[in-house]
Amino acid sequence: MDPALIKLALGGLAVLGCIGLFFGIGLGLAAHKFAIQINPKVEEVIEVLAGAQ
Amino acid sequence: MKERMRHLTLTGLLLVAILVSVGCDTGHRFVKKTEFKDGETIVITFAGPVDEAWAKEKANYAVYEEPDPDILLPIKEIRLSPDRTKVTLSFDDGLNTRQAHVLKTKEMLSEGRSQGTAVLTVKKLYFGLLLSIFIGAMLVNNFVFTKYLGLCVFFGTSQRKSTAVGMGITFTIVIVFAAMMAWALYQFVLKPFQLTFLNIVVFIGLVSLSVQAVDTILRKVNPALFKAFGVYLVLVIANCIAIAVPLILADNEYTGPESFMLALGAGLGFLVALFLMSSARERLELANVPPSFRGLPIAFIVAGLFALAFLGFSGMSIH
Repeated sequence: MDPALIKLALGGLAVLGCIGLFFGIGLGLAAHKFAIQINPKVEEVIEVLAGAQ
Repeated sequence: MKERMRHLTLTGLLLVAILVSVGCDTGHRFVKKTEFKDGETIVITFAGPVDEAWAKEKANYAVYEEPDPDILLPIKEIRLSPDRTKVTLSFDDGLNTRQAHVLKTKEMLSEGRSQGTAVLTVKKLYFGLLLSIFIGAMLVNNFVFTKYLGLCVFFGTSQRKSTAVGMGITFTIVIVFAAMMAWALYQFVLKPFQLTFLNIVVFIGLVSLSVQAVDTILRKVNPALFKAFGVYLVLVIANCIAIAVPLILADNEYTGPESFMLALGAGLGFLVALFLMSSARERLELANVPPSFRGLPIAFIVAGLFALAFLGFSGMSIH
């Protein structure tokens, strides 16, 4: 294998990994900051229903 | 509210004024304006009358496209307006008006007095280019009717006018958001690291990311609007226009404002298509359609007719 290509591939992995990590953390923080209270009973009721649609 | 509206209008006017003035600035005090006309000629407007002998001499002008200073464009004819303030240069071959041109003049003579030499740039108004991208994405190359993209969402949400408009607006917001991020990532990350072959992977991730972000934020900030968007927000991921727009802006190397106009045009074009289709389909439900054509089949036929009508826009461009 051409070392330049390997360098490109590893560099790509690193860059995309960083982007993914960055946006992942961003989304996580956003979800934390904009968290809302959801009534847990809603989930339970939906579980019990048939749920074909 | 009124105060704010006035504020917005003023800001908009200011922006337009800046764009226009940038387009007209020639960089020489004696030259008021340089512009393309009819795609074949360049018109120079001077601040005062120039000498006819000077103006009619072809050797006094040198015109080339900005990237190729070595290739001088041969001038065919020079016309001078009766008040001697306007010079029209015509060329053997048509001009490529998408490209900025540089026009150099030798020492300009006005009533026997020298006005110095000038190096002028001739280019189309940037505003016009943005507008042509916008209209192009919205009507001329409407993604639904001329490129046949995003059809599943198009047929799925065009049964009622209210759902159609809701979907169109949601889609426009998300696509603008996603396209701006795609442009920034492409220009500042993918290209410098030579990773452009990963375009599709990154753009798909970006679209779902922006949908998720809008979903999370809207849920908290404006629950009423979130309820109104409902299921359409998630449906945006399944719309292939959302991936086509980033790919097009990467292919054409669009700048930031151009990408914005492309995304806005694509979103509004989708909205227009949905609205037209839903209006037609609401009427179709009352029509006497043969049983075998009821529902989707007749919808496809109607969509085909709309596509034919949109063919009328093909080949249009804004000069």
